[in-house]
Amino acid sequence: MALRQTAIVLLVLIFAMTVGATYAQDEIVIDFYFPSATANDAEGIFQGYADMFQEENPGISVNPVFTGSYTDTRNTILTELQGGGAGPDVAVMLSIDLYSFAEEGYIVPAQGFIDAMDMGSDYVGDFFPSLMENGVDEMGNVWSIPFQRSTPILYYNADLLAEAGYDSPPTNNAELVEIAQALTTDERDGLLVPVAGGFPIWMYQSFAIAFGQNIVSDDPTEVYFNTPEAVAAVEFVRSLGTDLGVGPAGGAAWGDTPVAFLAGQAAMIYHTTGNLTRILNDADFEVGVWYLPSGPAGEDGTGYGAPTGGGNLYIFDDGSKSDAELDAIWRWVMFLSSPEIQADWGATTGYIAARASAWETEPLASLAEEHPQYGIARDQLQHVGKEFSSYATITIQGIINGTLESILTGEAEDAQAAMDEAQAQIDGILAEYR
Amino acid sequence: MPARLRQKSPLAFLQPYLLIAPTLILVLMFNVVPAFRTVNDSLYKPARGLNAAGKPPDYVGVENFRDLFDDSHYMGGRFLRAFRNTIIFALATVCIGVPLGLLLALLLNRRQPLLGLWRFAVFYPSLLPLIGAASIWSFIFSDSIGLANAVLKTFGHPGLNWLGDRNLVLLSIIIVNIWKQAGYFMIFFLAGLQNIPRNIYESSSLDGAGPLEQFAYLTLPLLRRTVLFVVVISFTFAFQTVEQLQALGEGGPADSANLLLYLIFQNISERRNWGYVNAMTIVLIGVVLIFTLSNFLLFERDETNR
Repeated sequence: MALRQTAIVLLVLIFAMTVGATYAQDEIVIDFYFPSATANDAEGIFQGYADMFQEENPGISVNPVFTGSYTDTRNTILTELQGGGAGPDVAVMLSIDLYSFAEEGYIVPAQGFIDAMDMGSDYVGDFFPSLMENGVDEMGNVWSIPFQRSTPILYYNADLLAEAGYDSPPTNNAELVEIAQALTTDERDGLLVPVAGGFPIWMYQSFAIAFGQNIVSDDPTEVYFNTPEAVAAVEFVRSLGTDLGVGPAGGAAWGDTPVAFLAGQAAMIYHTTGNLTRILNDADFEVGVWYLPSGPAGEDGTGYGAPTGGGNLYIFDDGSKSDAELDAIWRWVMFLSSPEIQADWGATTGYIAARASAWETEPLASLAEEHPQYGIARDQLQHVGKEFSSYATITIQGIINGTLESILTGEAEDAQAAMDEAQAQIDGILAEYR
Repeated sequence: MPARLRQKSPLAFLQPYLLIAPTLILVLMFNVVPAFRTVNDSLYKPARGLNAAGKPPDYVGVENFRDLFDDSHYMGGRFLRAFRNTIIFALATVCIGVPLGLLLALLLNRRQPLLGLWRFAVFYPSLLPLIGAASIWSFIFSDSIGLANAVLKTFGHPGLNWLGDRNLVLLSIIIVNIWKQAGYFMIFFLAGLQNIPRNIYESSSLDGAGPLEQFAYLTLPLLRRTVLFVVVISFTFAFQTVEQLQALGEGGPADSANLLLYLIFQNISERRNWGYVNAMTIVLIGVVLIFTLSNFLLFERDETNR
């Protein structure tokens, strides 16, 4: 009796293994990891994309895995790979994660795939150049493809501005301060810039760029954190909460900022384009959107500047993947970066569709026509600079964030001295890569 | 079967070892081996620079520890701040949270109407998942829309920047921690109080002792085991704090409320910092171990002397 049962179990096992093996031979499975920073049903949407892709590409299937926040995604992938696991084939990670993963040797450049395409340069040329910057190394090789990108923009309460006699949004930081002061009351902040709460670097970069010097360049071993422009930029941000008195000392918290804006407790805010859809839906006043007027007026009277942000598509390979697998992986990347998917994903989330042609594709084309605010974020791309990224990104970002926070909260009164000290620490780390 | 065992088979000496083996293996695998690895790895700096994944780490002796205690080093500055904060945080939790738990237990250890409801209300915070509770507090502490400032403003105070002011944020996190744990400590004290026989209070009243004297000369000495236990767990909990920080400003601004374990967590993802992460872990375990051992030694000696 027992013998017979064992035999049956064995047979079933053998059968299952054979089926599994045939299945594995016939079908290439792409493991796709993605984070979500939005409240939308990202899992459902990606499963839908995967099904569409599978229909077009028989023999390849995609396994979308939701991996939490950007930080969770990064840590999940690092843990799997450092522990000898397989990791993903394709993942959406921050565009600034490039050097961390390239350093470890886990990812491969997209350049090889682009070079093998018939119209590779047309494909790359369709992306907005400023969104490509973080995905390209100092030699000009493309590593990652823009997927869900954002920038910070200015949201303003157009009703309040009109009441105070301003028909148009500020175009430089003098106008920004003037309008913010005019709209500040006991109950209301004139301007909230979310630099409190652990990650001031992104918003700060808007000011550094608009003051004339981004803190990063194309060279991942150079950081410019103690230049006169960098110091003037942080001193200006600090003064918003002190001398100028248009917002809380030390800056506003990230999550509170849109809430206060929607509640009428802030007349203007700096926030990500990622919140555009939510703010337009929830506001009971007219929402204006404009480029970030963070810097002093230049020759044309404007002082715009903002960093890019958001996530790119990365291709993982330690050299063990077959040509067929790599081909399937690239097809999936091409699919996700196609104008159709970019238009759909951008319209659903509010991320900036990264390709010019996506803006002529439905549903984004009509949405941008109906709500011109969506187009502002795209048009601001002419004024944006690269988001902070270097070798040892996480550590150096930590040093910069800590220094900015101690300056903004008044702990370090002498901004120049604090930034000189930080620059020395940063140069000490980067020297290992030069 | 039992008869055969009693005959002392030559392998019988193995029996106790077999019985503890499952636990022993798990403890070795998940506690002892990692602990020794951590000590070992704290003496190395991981390879840095390009293609670091393939290169072996460098042996550096105690240099990682030296960097940690160097204020001008990028990790040292953060570590020293987090270390100081952790000590303040632990002392505040112990010195305020434990007496508060005891006070609540004393108040809720007598017959009164709605006793069950009061006890539940005080114990309730410990039932909430920490990350959820901390998120509620992040709303309460919010600068512009928060409840705490709304209350302050009704009294004409302009409001405080609870999570943004570097001088306040550690206090805010201590408040959340005490709120969360006082009810939990109360349960231990309540159990301890109910083990004290009623009749000794009666006889001491006959001898003319008032409530304060009863507390000082009867309740407190008889609760000393519970007090020691609660002090030890509250101290070790303080060193394990992570969730509150995740929800309440991530230890910022500028690490002004950062704590050791969270700092370790923040630095684990970049290879270059693994040596520091291991060294910080050693310091953390060391402090908790010294504190816990000294407490138990004092306690044990006390017991044997009795």
